[in-house]
Amino acid sequence: MKTVVEVEHYSFIYQDAKVPAIKDVSFTVREGEFVCIVGANGAGKTTLCNALVGLIPHYFTGETEGSVRINGADTADASVADLSNYIGLVFQNPFNQLTYASGTVAEELAYGLGNRGVSRDEMRRRVKLVSQLMHIEDLLDRDPLELSGGQVQRVAFGSTFILEPNILVLDECTTQLDPLGASEIFDIVKQLNASGVTVIMVDHDMERVAQYADTVVVMDHGQISLTGTPREVFSASDINRYGIDTPDYVKLSKGLDRRGLGDGELAMTYEQTVAMAKEVIDR
Amino acid sequence: MKIELNDVGYSYQTGHHALEHINLSFEGNQSVAIIGQNGAGKTTLAKQLNGILRPTQGTLKIDGIEISGRTTSEWSKRVGYVFQNPDDQLFLETVREEFAFGPRNIGMDEETIERCIAKVAALTGLQDKLDVHPADLSPTEKKFCGIGAVVMMDPDAVVFDEPTCGQDYAGDVRLHDLIAELKREGKMRIAISHDMKFVVANFDRVVVMCQGKVLVDGTPEEVFSQVDVLRKSYVTPPPITRVAQGVGLKETVFIVPQFVEKLEDACSAQNS
Ligand SMILES: Nc1ncnc2c1ncn2[C@@H]1O[C@H](COP(=O)(O)OP(=O)(O)OP(=O)(O)O)[C@@H](O)[C@H]1O
Ligand SMILES: Nc1ncnc2c1ncn2[C@@H]1O[C@H](COP(=O)(O)OP(=O)(O)OP(=O)(O)O)[C@@H](O)[C@H]1O
Ligand SMILES: [Mg+2]
Ligand SMILES: [Mg+2]
Repeated sequence: MKTVVEVEHYSFIYQDAKVPAIKDVSFTVREGEFVCIVGANGAGKTTLCNALVGLIPHYFTGETEGSVRINGADTADASVADLSNYIGLVFQNPFNQLTYASGTVAEELAYGLGNRGVSRDEMRRRVKLVSQLMHIEDLLDRDPLELSGGQVQRVAFGSTFILEPNILVLDECTTQLDPLGASEIFDIVKQLNASGVTVIMVDHDMERVAQYADTVVVMDHGQISLTGTPREVFSASDINRYGIDTPDYVKLSKGLDRRGLGDGELAMTYEQTVAMAKEVIDR
Repeated sequence: MKIELNDVGYSYQTGHHALEHINLSFEGNQSVAIIGQNGAGKTTLAKQLNGILRPTQGTLKIDGIEISGRTTSEWSKRVGYVFQNPDDQLFLETVREEFAFGPRNIGMDEETIERCIAKVAALTGLQDKLDVHPADLSPTEKKFCGIGAVVMMDPDAVVFDEPTCGQDYAGDVRLHDLIAELKREGKMRIAISHDMKFVVANFDRVVVMCQGKVLVDGTPEEVFSQVDVLRKSYVTPPPITRVAQGVGLKETVFIVPQFVEKLEDACSAQNS
């Protein structure tokens, strides 16, 4: 399969910072892959996201080394606007993502479509679709400044979604969402992923990471310290030292093994965990 | 201390009714989690508790005295509120000034302030960041700075709005320890959260809100066993609780060891 993201020996140091936020990072992402980036606070996850969409080097000042290529184009040469045709970022802080230049939620959603030559009808169609997906149909006429935290995050997500990028970068994009709302949105993301959209997601919720990821990338002090399938990564005995918890599914599998009730396998998803527990009960 | 809300309603200036007919009371050193769908009114409710917003209907009393009779700063000694978005809360040049601002306003002497800063900096993990501009803190450090500024006031109750948002494993542990410390000091803890693991690990009472009203109010066991009711407010139980419900376990479990034990019991019951 085609490689859509190529990061080669990439380093970045913010202006005036003493140490680089990312150091000699290399990895690739295939088209249609679901990659989760995990790691402690300050590990460099957001910096990496910003580098993927070209905000680094175009908006943040500092020194870079190495290269980031999106669909073959070096982000240093392409403009952020051009890149946004392929790759979209949902910001960690939704309050920073909204432009607040618009009077209503509907305008905020459509903002990014404005300079893309999208017809009025198409704009209306997409605003309607996205607001239904995000459950914000009732908020379309509201002022973005008068929303709850989770409502702002839904609008922020929608404003990236509406551009229909082929690569979605999600930086802790559901931290303020109600639990069912978050899982609905991940179902949508998973469906998009199944239809070929590449997903790169940062999250501290390890059950979610184990559930969805094809590949987990563990970052520590600006470097990649571990890469693998969820099973490979969460089997590692020293995983906690990278500032991440083990998913409860894995804890349960290990707990059952210790009592001689398990089968030595680690459950990674809700469904696998239910099946494992059922087997114990029915034994 | 006792906080009583009697038929409280709140409408924003836009005319939006965010709270309707809220009857709740919080007492002594209770620990309470407030959960529920986006826009349910949780933040609006929390802001009533320390007087940032005043009910447009009904009454809110602290120890029997109505809130309308007091100033916000008087109130903040009783109930402290940590904002959902720290950028709405922090406005000074350094973390140290953020910490000292409230206490200085209520006339705490400098020596006590210094001592409290040292203690609160340790609790929030900001020892090395006291002279940093809050804008230069990472998102989670900012959140802890907001928490610290409130804890500095030594209020009888602390209300946290989405404290685990963005926290890593170490941050979750630190928050747990900080809440345990407040408990030791006999303080009331109230938190609004979408993080159900955090809710069941730290709170004895859960209030579920839905569309401006209270939907359910009870112990975590009572609340999380009512899956269908919870769905109305877009809440799901924590992951391991869901698994236990998925296999048809009657008891509501919240932590892995508890579930392992129940499975062991079920297994040996089958075999005997
Ligand atoms: N704008 C900035 N200027 C200077 N330093 C920064 C800036 N943004 C981040 N940093 C620093 O770069 C490092 C990596 O930060 P980054 O935000 O990428 O981490 P993260 O893994 O996303 O953390 P979190 O889990 O808290 O979101 C940290 O040491 C941080 O303090
Ligand atoms: N400043 C404001 N002006 C007008 N309406 C507002 C304002 N702030 C919030 N609202 C509305 O009031 C309702 C309750 O908002 P609130 O912030 O209390 O919700 P919440 O339960 O905290 O939600 P979340 O989980 O998303 O943080 C929402 O419908 C919201 O849009
Ligand atoms: Mg980040
Ligand atoms: Mg809120």
